[in-house]
Amino acid sequence: MRIRANRKISSYAVIAAGMITLALPLTLSSTNTEIYVTVGLYTIVVAGLSLLMGFAGQVSLGQAAFYGIGSYTAAIMALHGWSPLAALIAAPITTAFLAFLIGIPLLRLKGHALAFGTLAVQLIFLAVIPETASLTGGSIGLSAIPSLRIGPLAISSGRDYAYLVWIVVLVTLIIARNIVHSRPGRGLRAMAASVSGASATGVEVERYKLKDFTLSAAFAGIAGGIYAFFIGYVSPDAFPVVLSIEFVIMVVVGGMGTVTGALVGAALITVISQVLTTLGTSPSLPPQLPTVLSLGVYAVILVAILRLLPSGLVGAFSSLWKKAQAASPVSQFKADENVEAVSSVDKEEPNEFTLVDEV
Amino acid sequence: MTAFVEYLLTGVSRGLVFSLLAMGFVLIYRVTRVVNFAQGAFAIFGGFITYSLLKAGIPHGVSELLAILAAGLIGLIFGIIAIGGDIPLLASLVITIGLSIFSEAIGMLIWGTTPITYSGLAGHDFVIFGAFIQRQYLIVVIASLVVFVAVLYGFGRTYFGKAMSACASNPYAARLSGINVKRMGLIAFTLGGALGGLAGVLITPLSPLTYNADISLGITGFAAAIVGGLTSPGLAVLGGLVFGIAEQFVAGYWSPSNETAVALALLIVLLLWQAKRVPAGGLE
Amino acid sequence: MKSTESTVDSANRLNSHDSVLATIDLVVRYGVSVALHGVSIHVGKGEMVALIGPNGAGKSTLLNTLSGIIRPASGRIVCNGKLAHVPEGRQIFPDLTVDDNICLGAYRGGSRDPAPMYELFPQLQRLQNRRAGGLSGGEQQMVAICRALMANPDVIAVDELSQGLAPLVVSDIARHLVELNKQNGTAVLLVEQNAQLALNITSRAYVIENGHIGLEGRSSDLLRNPAVRAAYLGGVR
Repeated sequence: MRIRANRKISSYAVIAAGMITLALPLTLSSTNTEIYVTVGLYTIVVAGLSLLMGFAGQVSLGQAAFYGIGSYTAAIMALHGWSPLAALIAAPITTAFLAFLIGIPLLRLKGHALAFGTLAVQLIFLAVIPETASLTGGSIGLSAIPSLRIGPLAISSGRDYAYLVWIVVLVTLIIARNIVHSRPGRGLRAMAASVSGASATGVEVERYKLKDFTLSAAFAGIAGGIYAFFIGYVSPDAFPVVLSIEFVIMVVVGGMGTVTGALVGAALITVISQVLTTLGTSPSLPPQLPTVLSLGVYAVILVAILRLLPSGLVGAFSSLWKKAQAASPVSQFKADENVEAVSSVDKEEPNEFTLVDEV
Repeated sequence: MTAFVEYLLTGVSRGLVFSLLAMGFVLIYRVTRVVNFAQGAFAIFGGFITYSLLKAGIPHGVSELLAILAAGLIGLIFGIIAIGGDIPLLASLVITIGLSIFSEAIGMLIWGTTPITYSGLAGHDFVIFGAFIQRQYLIVVIASLVVFVAVLYGFGRTYFGKAMSACASNPYAARLSGINVKRMGLIAFTLGGALGGLAGVLITPLSPLTYNADISLGITGFAAAIVGGLTSPGLAVLGGLVFGIAEQFVAGYWSPSNETAVALALLIVLLLWQAKRVPAGGLE
Repeated sequence: MKSTESTVDSANRLNSHDSVLATIDLVVRYGVSVALHGVSIHVGKGEMVALIGPNGAGKSTLLNTLSGIIRPASGRIVCNGKLAHVPEGRQIFPDLTVDDNICLGAYRGGSRDPAPMYELFPQLQRLQNRRAGGLSGGEQQMVAICRALMANPDVIAVDELSQGLAPLVVSDIARHLVELNKQNGTAVLLVEQNAQLALNITSRAYVIENGHIGLEGRSSDLLRNPAVRAAYLGGVR
């Protein structure tokens, strides 16, 4: 009974969300449309990264590089006479292919080693761009990227892009959702969460990790491709290390391995960053204030979420929801009574992932 | 010959600075098994605080010392935030990423976006094999060698150092033996902060730093630490030297713009080599 | 199974001066499940006591509670002297040398000279500079025992002495424990799944089942007890 009611509620919610998504671009100002498009693009990237972090339990600090590779692929092809649509389709394919090649050796790394390895990939990307100026425009970048055209359909206004992006968001979220609910997906997720994850069978895990990594790069690539056409100009400044860190923050805020988490995290962080920019920009204030504010706030949000809500906003909300529905007052009381004993269980068996606290 | 000597000596002294950062990584990793992403930030704080103190008229020596102490204190605070309470290792790693961008925000707020430098201890350049060498290089070499000896001795030979290593080797057994694992972790973060601070104090007069140089300093330090599998302070020193010298030779004989890419490619190769050498999970 | 002695009796005896370690109605909970339901045991000065029982009966929980790793929900622990704990799975410091492993046992105080330990276990002498992680299981068990002994304990609690070791190695280490008990008067609380071994070398024993002390008495009596023999000794003897 309750399950069916829940399903009904959630399908209503999906329909309502869909309607709002469709209606929003009609009402938004041009600045807000730009934010709306950005939220969509970031959601696509974060959905991929979230799979990687939630499944394999691994942190990639190179996602902005994949976003950048997608952008450059689309921009370079469009500027070299390819049709914009072909350029856009090539963006995720090229990015995924590169990620696949990088991933074969790199995914042998885990934890901090993978984090630093992917960060190195990102820094190499940023170091290579200025060295290949004839193709990439160097540090100045590429401009005058033609606008996007799909068959007879010209996509030029912000509103057009908003619809395009959110259609892609929908597709990526469906793909991500299918992976989360697929049988290997569930297994892998359990493994990422479990303490003894390291002991799981090697070959299959490696294969799925590589698949996840490649797919997350493809997501970043398509988002980057759309970004190039939307802004009309790409330069290395658009893909700093901080953007990779931002993507990780969005995943953590929303909740690793959840599809809705990607959306919530991307939307929340993008909007916060926008609000801070508006607040911090004023002739009387120092010009670096918006950056200071957003870096500072990102850091505080990241640390606060990890310390207080390790499963992210969506995770915390859904467990609260479940608790409110399932827990009778009696069992609630019992659970509270045992809090201390529970924490000592956690401490009983130290393992690789847990640092033991002092008694 | 002159150019070679110049590149070599510059490489050695820059390499020693990377070694100091690498030792910070090793120290914190050995005790807590956390890789501190914010290690480069300690160097930025060390250098920038020295700059401000010197500007306020505090003499050389005192300024540097105060800055190193401040970096140690920042290390302690970062440690409390990153490993206080019960928290999984991966979460600690991501928290240190947050601390690193927080440091960038603070650095930008206080010191702005222009590169910061100050003159090191005044003195004439001197000449070796026809190469002009700044006196600051000599100070770098002496200061880091003293610190290396102290750390290697402290870790490998003293009872306290062994107790610190025991924390990472087997935290449960360390607690059974009466070692306060959490406190040891915080001490490691404090020392790691001071080591990073010293690195910043030494390198800022040689090459001006901006608020966001922590990432590149940090990753080079990490690369050096990886040479010793993040656990060997001795190999970390060697790693720092290799990276410092390689960087100068690539920049000098090939192209300065390739220096970063080469260093990073070398890092990836090292990481993969380590992953192969250490069985799965061992490096976690 | 029926108790051969009432728990009231054993609780009364706690006040007597001959006991070096005792628990009174110890209760430990893991979340909603109860791991120990009011466990009362005691170890006399210089006594060798066994705690036997099947997997998951609460043996390791009891030891971890005794050494302060787990906090009990209720009950008391009385310790008239120093307790050292040799944990299950030996838990040595794999990256440190044998020497360092042993020395760190004296972290709480006392002499840090490992020489007396090498007298006790001469086999370890030639391994003193080797990484402990590279030793055989038996050698690691000796290192773990030495490390515990460095604290100069009045009672040493050994968790699963025989786990993963060859029978010959086990009997060798067990012999050392008996010797130690005789010479230094160190009391031993031996927690074992291998009931045969435990009952053979101790004088008194407890049988723990599902977090209760089901049975206690002299080891020689328990060896002859039909219920114990059926459950833990495979009907042999």
